Amino acid sequence: MKKSHLLAIVIVAVGIGILITASKDVTTYATFSQAAESGDRVKLVGQLVKEQPVEYNPEKDPNLLAFYLRDDAGEVRRVVLHAGKPQDFERSEQIVLTGAMKGETFEAHDMLLKCPSKYEQQEIYVKERS
Amino acid sequence: MEYIGEHLLPGQLGHLLVILSFVAALLSTVAYTSATVRRSMHDYGGWLNIGRFSFVLHGMATFGIIGSLFFILVSKYYEYHYAWANVSDDLPFKYTFSAFWKEQQGSFLLWSFWHIVLGAILIWRAGRFEAPVLATFALAETFIASMLLGLYFGDSRFGASPFDLLRDTMQAPIFQQADYLTRVKGNGLNPLLQNYWMTIHPPTLFLGFASTLVPFAYAIAGLWLRDHKGWLKPALPWALFSGAILGTGILMGGAWAYEALSFGGYWAWDPVENTSLVPWITLVAGIHAHLIARHTGYSVRGAYSMYLLTFLLVLYSTYLTRSGILGDTSAHAFTEMGLGLQLILFIAAFSLLGFGLWFVRYKEVPGMKDDEPASTREFWMLIGSMVLFFSAVLITGATSLPVWNKIVQSFNPEYVGAALKDPVEHHNRYQLWIAVFIGLLSGVAQFLRYSERNWKMYQRTFVRHMVIAVLGAAALTALNGLWLHATGFQYWVLLFAGMFTAVSNADYLFSVLKGNAKIGASAVSHFGFGVLVLGILYTGLNKEFISSNSFAMEGLIEGADDDALNRNVLLLKDAPMPMRMGYRATYLSDTILRQTRTFSVRFEKLDSLGNASGEVFDLYPNAMYDRQFSSIVATNPSTKHYWNRDIFTHVTSLPKAELDREYAKKQEDSLRYEPYEAAVGDTIFTKKQYVVVKAFVKNPTHHDYTAQPGDLAFGALLEAHSLDNPKVFTAKPMMYLRPGQGAFTLPDQVNQLQLKFRLSEAAMEKIFRTEEALQYEDISMKAGNTYTFKGHTIHFEQVEQDIKHPGYTAEEGDIAVTARLRVTAPGGQTGSAAPVYLLRGNRPFSLKDEIPELGLHFRFEKIDPQLGVLTISAALSTAEQRRIPVEIAEDAARADYIVLEAILFPGINLVWIGSIMMLIGLALGVWKRVEGLRS
Repeated sequence: MKKSHLLAIVIVAVGIGILITASKDVTTYATFSQAAESGDRVKLVGQLVKEQPVEYNPEKDPNLLAFYLRDDAGEVRRVVLHAGKPQDFERSEQIVLTGAMKGETFEAHDMLLKCPSKYEQQEIYVKERS
Repeated sequence: MEYIGEHLLPGQLGHLLVILSFVAALLSTVAYTSATVRRSMHDYGGWLNIGRFSFVLHGMATFGIIGSLFFILVSKYYEYHYAWANVSDDLPFKYTFSAFWKEQQGSFLLWSFWHIVLGAILIWRAGRFEAPVLATFALAETFIASMLLGLYFGDSRFGASPFDLLRDTMQAPIFQQADYLTRVKGNGLNPLLQNYWMTIHPPTLFLGFASTLVPFAYAIAGLWLRDHKGWLKPALPWALFSGAILGTGILMGGAWAYEALSFGGYWAWDPVENTSLVPWITLVAGIHAHLIARHTGYSVRGAYSMYLLTFLLVLYSTYLTRSGILGDTSAHAFTEMGLGLQLILFIAAFSLLGFGLWFVRYKEVPGMKDDEPASTREFWMLIGSMVLFFSAVLITGATSLPVWNKIVQSFNPEYVGAALKDPVEHHNRYQLWIAVFIGLLSGVAQFLRYSERNWKMYQRTFVRHMVIAVLGAAALTALNGLWLHATGFQYWVLLFAGMFTAVSNADYLFSVLKGNAKIGASAVSHFGFGVLVLGILYTGLNKEFISSNSFAMEGLIEGADDDALNRNVLLLKDAPMPMRMGYRATYLSDTILRQTRTFSVRFEKLDSLGNASGEVFDLYPNAMYDRQFSSIVATNPSTKHYWNRDIFTHVTSLPKAELDREYAKKQEDSLRYEPYEAAVGDTIFTKKQYVVVKAFVKNPTHHDYTAQPGDLAFGALLEAHSLDNPKVFTAKPMMYLRPGQGAFTLPDQVNQLQLKFRLSEAAMEKIFRTEEALQYEDISMKAGNTYTFKGHTIHFEQVEQDIKHPGYTAEEGDIAVTARLRVTAPGGQTGSAAPVYLLRGNRPFSLKDEIPELGLHFRFEKIDPQLGVLTISAALSTAEQRRIPVEIAEDAARADYIVLEAILFPGINLVWIGSIMMLIGLALGVWKRVEGLRS
């Protein structure tokens, strides 16, 4: 057999092997109810519920942030994240979480904020007539 | 409507140039294509000239667009959306560049700029490859120029023009006024981007992206002209140049993330980072195949495919970062502008062109030699490029999940979509083994020779060097193992592979090349790779969050058992906080300059007994407020650099009242202030503390107060004592009346005791009412005599000209004297006063003085210099009149802390040194190959 063929076979075999093992690294986007059902670590997209309080008391614990999130299905749950509160958290338009349901709460491991205001200003600043 | 004050000319000119630039690029594509096709015909020269002319015209038009846009930004013409959205009156000139390429159009122009510069050099230098290479350049430029067109076809728009007017892009009632421009101000640049990195990183990265088009265009030229070997020589220095520049651009991105952004690292496997790294990896794979082809004549297929792929991956990266598809997965992609379809067309056209040609010509292109013996360098190099390609496939595959989701969703809207659970962990796990292979392969291949024909003779030398490399690597692995917190076997394997290539390449550089770095491009690069691996291992495995205090935080954190999660520590002002690794941090102070609030934090390293070890340094992380000072838009880290480690800090949070003015107001409103009344010298007892009133002053100072002429101000000097703290804290609340604006009260806080003090309008009213109600009595006095006033003994010491009255500021021509009085009260208390008599511009003034604790007020009314008699008016206030209302709130939330994250990064310099050596190696390659072209 030609060496190049051997090499091709090895590469394909390794590729398939990696694909199989890497499939464990992949998770699906889920809603709270799906996350609760599966109990697995999932990605979850939603919006901050601004009417509910955002708990962050660094005097007590600088590593605990809790808030309420409405997922794409409209369900609202409490989310706990063991990290500091990002600067423009309240202004976020969308929040992407990775984590799992623990009882009634969603325990998040990381969080990505989408703040359109950061890059795009929707309002026109108007200055005073002088 | 006729609008007033608009400058429409630069925009109209710019738009005209956009169209010219597009048409010229299109014409150049056609002409250069014809020239290539008709290269052996008599009209070849004519087409070539049209191609050149139109490419230069395209270049000039593009420079004109850049000039117009730059002019609009510098002139702050807010009638243009681009200027309004990205600059402001107070933006320093040096950030105009950042504002220019912050958005898609500006960065397309930057990219285009480099294509034109490189294209011009190629017109000059490429010789017989000019026509096909420039045809490809012109086609790419046609696509990029089309992104700026902004032309409407029916309802859909083709391209996004940078010259759109604000009033055309926004709907607002303000545009119903003809003079709307007088009331519009620019948004300014996001403070995160007001940074020198934003000035140097994009041009470098875009030069890197643009330069990948050169090997691509040469590959197209080779396939097109069926000259599969001729293009290899002139293209090689370009490919190496591209590798060096793109690598520098990526490295700068990492350095920016580490130095100036609060990412807490230099690489996060973010999709935006990945898609710029992947083309670099395939480019390097292509360079290896290219070198094999240059030395042996085989593997031209590899070079072709990798160079074609590299530019296509640059386009794919452009699509991912600009189409908005990464929305859920990346922290820093561009804002979506509706260019997705155009970008897909761009990719499709170039894929079709590249791989179409590749398939058509495939059979005639030399591939790899079938019976390549394993004793040759090219055999292992080829495997190395395949490993690199494999790495690119893995990273691209995982990064493309959002694209995959979108494709599936367009067929099946029910599909929920997949995402990586933990991208960092995923990529690290696989790329670790890629790095192991690269380390081992590059260490071995360096000592092998191209087309080895004398293996029997050479074998012994080879084995000797391999033994040196293995032993050296084993020794270094063991040595580093002393410090490295390697928990899994895979880290040991990687460490060994990195050390192996470092030792082998260093050995090669000195024993074979005799230290001649000029011909040692690959040895330097691969040695750098080994150093980089070591750096990655140290920063990754030995990184420590030192901002954690498990003892102080114990019991406070609900459900946190994983101490890796405890990354933030709360620092109260002036309260030293012991942290991990023997560090102690103290938040000392904060200062505000423009919109930036800088905190100074002292770090002290303690020895195992808790004594200061002498290592003390201050760090200055900061927070940037928006222009209204209502919220924080960015925090910037501060890092202490040592030769072998860095200590990286950044402020992750501040008291909410400091972040948000609305909240601060709400918090202030919800405080329960208790009213008290006290005279000077009195003590007020609150629930847990007591407060002594030291003075009431008429010229108070306060950090939020800037005195203005006409202000009527008064403040209190208070001393707060706690029953369990011997320390005395002073507070200076004040209030002032500003004519035409009203009364303002400025509270003061003693954070340590959670006390807040405020003066109310009642206090001011009382002071002025008392002043009016006082019954003054004149007393004629002579120096040295003693008088009695309502039971008080007043001793008039003397008249002085040295005036220390707080209400007096000397002016030229003043004649001022003061009378020094000593008073003994009936109860035995004593005090002194010095009222002032002033003649200014022939008008007499009297500045009164008082002894508040005795309730005595004095005015210096008249002076008779002949007789030496002066008239002092004295008044005594009642005890009730002396008591001034003071409001005190207890349990005020502390506002004097920061939440800090501090990370110890050991070996970060190894990452920089290793990467820079890899790039230096590529640069050495460019140098050597350019010299080779000349000879």
